[in-house]
Amino acid sequence: MIKGAGFLKQGVLTVLLSAASFAISAQTITAPPVYGPATGLADSAALRATVFGTPPQDMAPLPEKVPLSEITVSLPWRLPVPDVLWFNSKLRVWFSAQKAPAPLAIIISGTGSDGNTTKLQVLRAALYGAGYHVLTMPSPTFPGFIVSSSSTGVAGDLMQDGHDLYGAMQEIVAHLPRKVHITDIDLLGYSLGGANAAIVKSIDSTEGKLKIHRVVMINPPVSLFSSVGRLDKLFTAYVGSGDAGVEQLYRRLYAQLANLYRASERVQIDENFMLGAAAATLKTDAEFSAAISLTFRADLVNMFFCGDLYAKTGVVVDPAHPPKVGDSLEETQRILRGKPFAEYFTRVFAPYYLQHRAGSTSASLIADSRLDIIGDALRNNADYYAQTNKDDLILDQRELTWLQDTLGPRIVVYDHGGHLGTVGDRHQVADMLDMLAGRWPRVSQ
Amino acid sequence: MMRRRAIATLAALTLALLALGGCASQGISIRSVPAETPAADNAAAAANAAAFAEAVASANAMPPGAPISKDVVVATDEQPAPPLTAADAPPMYTYDPWERLNRFTYRFNARFDDVLFLPVVNVYKRVPSPVRTGIHNFFGNLGEIDSVINYTLQWRLKFGLRSLERLVINSTIGIGGLIDVATKLKLPGAPSGFATTLSKWGMHPGPYLVLPLLGPSTLRDGIGFTADYATLYGINVFNLYRGDQSWGLGVVNAVDQRANVNFRYYSTGSPFEYETIRFLYVRKRLIEDEGLHAKARDVRKKPPADAPAGK
Repeated sequence: MIKGAGFLKQGVLTVLLSAASFAISAQTITAPPVYGPATGLADSAALRATVFGTPPQDMAPLPEKVPLSEITVSLPWRLPVPDVLWFNSKLRVWFSAQKAPAPLAIIISGTGSDGNTTKLQVLRAALYGAGYHVLTMPSPTFPGFIVSSSSTGVAGDLMQDGHDLYGAMQEIVAHLPRKVHITDIDLLGYSLGGANAAIVKSIDSTEGKLKIHRVVMINPPVSLFSSVGRLDKLFTAYVGSGDAGVEQLYRRLYAQLANLYRASERVQIDENFMLGAAAATLKTDAEFSAAISLTFRADLVNMFFCGDLYAKTGVVVDPAHPPKVGDSLEETQRILRGKPFAEYFTRVFAPYYLQHRAGSTSASLIADSRLDIIGDALRNNADYYAQTNKDDLILDQRELTWLQDTLGPRIVVYDHGGHLGTVGDRHQVADMLDMLAGRWPRVSQ
Repeated sequence: MMRRRAIATLAALTLALLALGGCASQGISIRSVPAETPAADNAAAAANAAAFAEAVASANAMPPGAPISKDVVVATDEQPAPPLTAADAPPMYTYDPWERLNRFTYRFNARFDDVLFLPVVNVYKRVPSPVRTGIHNFFGNLGEIDSVINYTLQWRLKFGLRSLERLVINSTIGIGGLIDVATKLKLPGAPSGFATTLSKWGMHPGPYLVLPLLGPSTLRDGIGFTADYATLYGINVFNLYRGDQSWGLGVVNAVDQRANVNFRYYSTGSPFEYETIRFLYVRKRLIEDEGLHAKARDVRKKPPADAPAGK
């Protein structure tokens, strides 16, 4: 659920966030091995692994070169594009083709993220190196997907998002160049994308249009609500409730960065300064927790805005006068920063789905956001696999146990790594490749 | 002659790309982009990790508020300004009276990138990387002339001297600036320009300004950029800026600059991207100003409420 970006690259909310996500995206960075007392929802090691990702020296061997194409597609079922989201009218995905006939691996991104994140780049490299064609897709909660591909505009419903993803995949696969010869299709996803992948396979089991073979879920949530609730709790504890907390954090960080900069005798802020600044500002568990929850909140703000605009629920967007291209959205952004996921649910998501899904209730919508809506398939179909970490901060013990009980030998649980901190690790990659190739569970030596 | 041919070529290229863009709006478009190099990226990440671990170690070793890098404060007679506190931070709100125009310029830049700039950059990236590095160094070396002038105007002679040394070394041993020998001799680049000089002279950033093609700026930084260009144009080294070839050189300069900025408009997909970029750009420049003024003033003066972009 965590998205990374460089200082002037993409989607960041505050200077802290940029410092933190510089660290995340560069994915560069080795976590100092501090195993302090657990605070909040996760222990120190888990928080650090979540922010820093897999240390470079633990990475699986990756190929020298991976060819890449960018594919943009207009989908026929797209809703009218809102003025202020004009740039999202087409779905953008990335594709790496093998020269010879090969299986296709489709990877779905995590919450709020596009189809070319650092995590996706690592997975793409590993899979391409193992001989797959690789197609990477955004999360159905990414604004670029919501606008171009969603049939509702209100993201977050597992089944609905699954159908939209499934439709988009069919369009793309049908239009790949003829010389790309596909022998089989497998599906992967990390974080929320893991849950999305499993749902898409279950849809394909009945519709049969892509004949998806195996699925690997990497650090999936079990219940969207409880996972997001945990991140919101982290936000309240370490940033504060509402926008005031963000403002306070920003002020503290600004002063800290300015003092560091003044002392550094540099003539401009560059990547080296940001590296040092990240080292100086990301020290305590509280700071890591704030960075993680802010990154997630920045994604939520986008999804909230889109949902409110499409569902015409009027929380921040006046349905009668939606904003136009030249209008300022600063105040809207400020208001949304302070709003947790619970508010998205009660004020946008639930009103929309209660109206559009006959016989639904708040309770049924929450139940529909759990992976156990396909529990039978996960239990009985040997083509579903999962990888997660014992200290993944989006899962509680009960949810982890449920995954283990349901998938049996088809899940591997690593001891450390927090959320997504093992993506690209040599064990994770080796296990993932074995799962996709049907060599799992390995016969014990 | 050459100029006319260059214009004709560019016009043809533009039309072809616009036509391609037109095709792309129907159904599906597949564009190949530069290949990724995961193994090399991970090696670079390992080096970064080592640097980060070192930074963590030194951040932990020093008392709070102490410098974070090794090339730290030189002893001066001036009193250092007292450290900033959270209360000194400018509000998150950004002064942007020309927002409507800025937003349209931002959108223009995004479309220009999409239709022309990035496709050209993608072709350019097929040029072998040593050649591209050489071109980048060449333009960087020309920029040193501007740095020398501006450091002098800012009365930061130590930096001015460093830029001058770089200029001389790279222009000679570095074969006209193609090879950055100076950095290898522990004289890393530290470019400066009129934006910094104006700030040093006390000019506030003024309103946020999105420049056509160049992107985020402020009124002051925009004036600074224009002055930088005017200076190089005025000096006109080897007739590079005013001869027949200047047009082509300008295009290569622009493509080189764009190829070295890892930013893509609207890749965040976020409706708030304009706000986010504005916020980050202005805060970055304000912090750089804090550094520039820290040693000059002992009493912190509050700027007038309506003046700087951060207020």
